Amino acid sequence: MILPKFTYAKPKSIDESIELYKMHDGRICYLAGGTDVIPLAKQRLVAPDVVVDLKNIEELKIIEKNDKWLTIGANVTLFDLKKYPLTKEFFKGLYESLDETSCETLQMRGTIGGNILQNTRCLFYNKSIEWRTARGFCFKMGGTLCNAVPKGNVCFSNYCSDNALSLITLSTELEFVGLKGKRRVAIENIFSGNGVKPFNLEPGEILTRICIPLEKNRGAYEKLRVRGSIDYTLISVAVALKGDGGKVSIGGVGPAPLSYHLNNTEESSIEELANKAYSDAKTVANTVLTPAYRKRMARVLVKKAIKRSLQEGN
Amino acid sequence: MDTINVSFQINGDEVMLDVKPYETLLETIRERLSLTGAKEACGLGACGACTVLLDGIPVRSCLVLTAEVDGADIITIEGMKKNGKLHPLQESFMKNGAVQCGFCTSGMIMTAKAFLDSNKSPARKDIVKAISSNVCRCTGYKKIVDAVEEAAQKMQS
Repeated sequence: MILPKFTYAKPKSIDESIELYKMHDGRICYLAGGTDVIPLAKQRLVAPDVVVDLKNIEELKIIEKNDKWLTIGANVTLFDLKKYPLTKEFFKGLYESLDETSCETLQMRGTIGGNILQNTRCLFYNKSIEWRTARGFCFKMGGTLCNAVPKGNVCFSNYCSDNALSLITLSTELEFVGLKGKRRVAIENIFSGNGVKPFNLEPGEILTRICIPLEKNRGAYEKLRVRGSIDYTLISVAVALKGDGGKVSIGGVGPAPLSYHLNNTEESSIEELANKAYSDAKTVANTVLTPAYRKRMARVLVKKAIKRSLQEGN
Repeated sequence: MDTINVSFQINGDEVMLDVKPYETLLETIRERLSLTGAKEACGLGACGACTVLLDGIPVRSCLVLTAEVDGADIITIEGMKKNGKLHPLQESFMKNGAVQCGFCTSGMIMTAKAFLDSNKSPARKDIVKAISSNVCRCTGYKKIVDAVEEAAQKMQS
């Protein structure tokens, strides 16, 4: 499969990268591991003038901790983060979602920043240009229809990051640098809920740091997929428990993750949350499994993930 | 469009090339260097048939731009043979009948090599997990796992 024509730049700093964004009026694409963006380019779903490779930027490769935060550079690979001892010890749910991401070879190349900012997916969107032209361009391609839901008037594409869900349950904050400077936001707030443009990002912004509060959690991650490896999620649930309560996040259904607070871990509260997840999971026919099955699995996986987190002790 | 000058080591040889900025490492390896062991199957990073080692780490060469590998050390299946002798993994794949149509084989062996380099005495379940990065359309996984297991034992002794 042949890539579209573009030029390539490998800046050494974030400022230099943002300069390139300005110089080319935003017609660039940032590259980290390339496991999301290169397939998109091959299918002509992105067509940048310049690919700006961020892998030479040292400050994006750090992992450091102080009393309150674990700070991870956006270019740390999923595999390196999984092998970082503190991940498994403090954030079991994140450890499991890293382990469940695609396969180990792609974990060694894919980065945590790229994983969070991966584009949303749909059975009718992630296709070749020829296939999409024959079918008709959907909302996400700049067209006026939805190929998954007849007469649908919004985009139902699914956000498939495994790790963003775990990071939501851990109350993670993200740092961005862009044309307007630096900002720090709670990870939940980066999602627009609009599948056409899934992230609330300012022009030229680069995700630089992922900051997780350094508190030990009990957690688990449950993922539904057809094969045990490589596949994207078809519905996932992440859980992190602290004390009597905790947070639950559900992904792979629609353009933004769903988030919930679990007030206590009594059977009735778990049941209530599982039922709420079932009614909130608006699955449509845009993956390889039926919407009804994926919806039912919302309830099953919520209960399973919470129960597994509880079994962890502490 | 301007080309980019890159130099890297491949199977122990230094090469210096002018490549297109949108050229993948797989295209360079196969079409410029005529090393056709790495295969293109899905072209989207899903199957692993194009796996090569980039500084010892297995990568999908169809997802890597050649411009990215300036200064790197690359090993392909052609570089596995040492002093005219096949690598134990290659021997073991032949002996165990782990090659069916053969299209996934070079990728499987490169993934397995990276795995065995960091894990000298793996459990069978760890081998299964390691090679689950690669897809075999013939579904001959049992023999592949057998072959990696035997090669691991041989490499230890």
